[in-house]
Amino acid sequence: MADKVKVAMIQLCGCSGCHISLLDLHDKLLEVLPNLEIVYAPIVADPKEIPDGIDVALLEGGVRNEHDEHLVHEFREKAKIVIAWGTCAAYGGIPGLGNLYTKEELINRVYSTESTDNPGTIPSEEIPPLEDYVKPIPDVIKVDYIIPGCPPTPDMIASAIVALLNGEEPKFSTKIVCDECPRKKENVFPEKFKRTFEGKPDPEKCLFEQGYTCLGMATRAGCGAKCPNAGVPCRGCYGKTDAVLDQGAAAANTFANAGEAALEIPDKVALLNRFSLPAALISKKIK
Amino acid sequence: MGKVVIEPLTRLEGHGKVTITLDENGKPKDVKLHITALRGFEQFVVGRPAEEVPRIVPRICGICQTAHHLASVKAVDAAWGVEIPSAAKKVRELMHLGNMIHSHALHFYFLAAPDFVVGPDADPAIRNIVGVIDKAPEVAKKAIALRKFGQALVEATGGKAIHPVTGIPGGVSKPFSEEDRDAFLKEIDTMIEYAKDGVELIKSINEQYMEQIKTLGVIDTWYLGLVNDGKHEFYDGTLRFLSPDGKEKMEFQPSEYLDYIGEHVVSHSYVKYPYNKKVGYPEGLYRVGPLAMLNVCDSMKTPLAEEARKEFLDTFGFPANQSLAYNHARLIELLAACERVKELLNDSEITSEDVKVEVEPKAGNGVGVVYAPRGVLIHNYETDDNGIVVKANMIVATTHNVPTMEKAIQQAAEVIFKE
Repeated sequence: MADKVKVAMIQLCGCSGCHISLLDLHDKLLEVLPNLEIVYAPIVADPKEIPDGIDVALLEGGVRNEHDEHLVHEFREKAKIVIAWGTCAAYGGIPGLGNLYTKEELINRVYSTESTDNPGTIPSEEIPPLEDYVKPIPDVIKVDYIIPGCPPTPDMIASAIVALLNGEEPKFSTKIVCDECPRKKENVFPEKFKRTFEGKPDPEKCLFEQGYTCLGMATRAGCGAKCPNAGVPCRGCYGKTDAVLDQGAAAANTFANAGEAALEIPDKVALLNRFSLPAALISKKIK
Repeated sequence: MGKVVIEPLTRLEGHGKVTITLDENGKPKDVKLHITALRGFEQFVVGRPAEEVPRIVPRICGICQTAHHLASVKAVDAAWGVEIPSAAKKVRELMHLGNMIHSHALHFYFLAAPDFVVGPDADPAIRNIVGVIDKAPEVAKKAIALRKFGQALVEATGGKAIHPVTGIPGGVSKPFSEEDRDAFLKEIDTMIEYAKDGVELIKSINEQYMEQIKTLGVIDTWYLGLVNDGKHEFYDGTLRFLSPDGKEKMEFQPSEYLDYIGEHVVSHSYVKYPYNKKVGYPEGLYRVGPLAMLNVCDSMKTPLAEEARKEFLDTFGFPANQSLAYNHARLIELLAACERVKELLNDSEITSEDVKVEVEPKAGNGVGVVYAPRGVLIHNYETDDNGIVVKANMIVATTHNVPTMEKAIQQAAEVIFKE
């Protein structure tokens, strides 16, 4: 490739963890950066205007307020390739748990905590109003690719960028986390489910089969099964695979095989849809 | 009358803009800092089993996620009345220090340094980390090495470098391995050297920019930090307020925070304005973070950092009130964190397998506090009989600083618009 690729990056309703994950290429940054011209990226660079002629726009975070929505449209107009970068952008992510409440409930709670001395005042001056619910970016504009993960691994981001630099399509695993998990499976269903602090999980055996509410079977691979390797169940942060329509439904389908025990699990809606509620078939609480 | 709008604010995490209203003479009349994003974590952790919350709240911030993870799990331990094994406490502290090293290195070298290394008048297009790599590759190399070490330490102790997961009520989900301990021990002396180089670098930068440091963003505020027996503390201690003149101290337990800290809703920002409740609003506005930490503590815990703290006070006075001195204070803390990591790695208990006790969920109210990279971080949850969160309050590090950042921008605007 002759010219540098013009890249723009922005964080919308996210935490900037995807940006940090890109910086976590560490020494490899020195190989990737010279091929890129960062034309806009408020987190690490100073340009204030979104320029025309962007080759690749990486959008982190979903759409929570009117300004987010406006920016997403502006990037679509000005960029050749738009990428929903990370799980918040692709599926709504953790901030999507806000969809279990109305906008009013959310705001009223924040401005009436015990430490608030003047509850009842709601900020509104020179700040963008919230939308009713969090929306994933593909619900607002057409995106060319998604890079899943909370955050996506540095290698995933790098390989996607390198593919695009070479004029190829970035490719992501179509497998599930269980395929990457070294824990041994016996193909049995638990008789009882446990909460993560209960007991001491056997370090060799499948966490789900031991009764821990692991979501590896409903989650796209790519992380290397980091959470099960660290002794805690997968929470689904890479979202669904291409083979299913809805991550929560895919998980529920497996959990249901345990029968009655599955009904006892607390807070099922926010467990099964922890990272993808805004992209679920039922994407918000219906009164 | 005119108006200057700076949007978006850059080289920071989060969303902000500044509006400066000018009077007929072109002098700033009113300066406002607007924090323009709201996500509502205090609402949407309600209804969640408390042990899940430490896996949710790291997404408040992708830079200091570890601090949120740990303040959160400490709050759940406190709500359920759990005393964790001392080895688990040390593994959590090590995880925290990994985050501190990564974040302080990021903040200084990637976000602040372009102003000094590339220069404040450089073309905005090159005033970023890529510019630093071009102009000062040796500095960039050390910055990258420090970040890598910090993130690798978080991954080894926390399971993931970003949004760690091993903090569970009762301790941690896995012990720290001897192989990991040995690998980090091999590198730690180099990291301490790099951190010392950082302190030398900021001293030479200070000499070059002392006029700006002593004029821009100089404000008198209260300070809030975390101390342990009066010493500078990253992970677990008591909170201490220091008055603007450095004469008065107020020390209190994290569980007493509601008696000492209030939050005031303002109409122009999604962020509430915290203040020292004993003093009142707005007189009790205060700063947190490295500058505040160096002001409130009596000394540093480790020898090289303590030496550096004394030099710092010689340069800036006590209490140091120059906002641009934050960078110097941050690099002293980076050194302190590296020194403390070495102590923990050499502690025979760090690889103990005894890292988790049995816990029972119950109704309770717990506060968890750590010193996050941007300053004191407070999580407070109330749980029901099944250990489900019914109420939550969080005061995140940058929130404490927003009102005084606004004051500092106001002061800087007055100086800059004078010309």
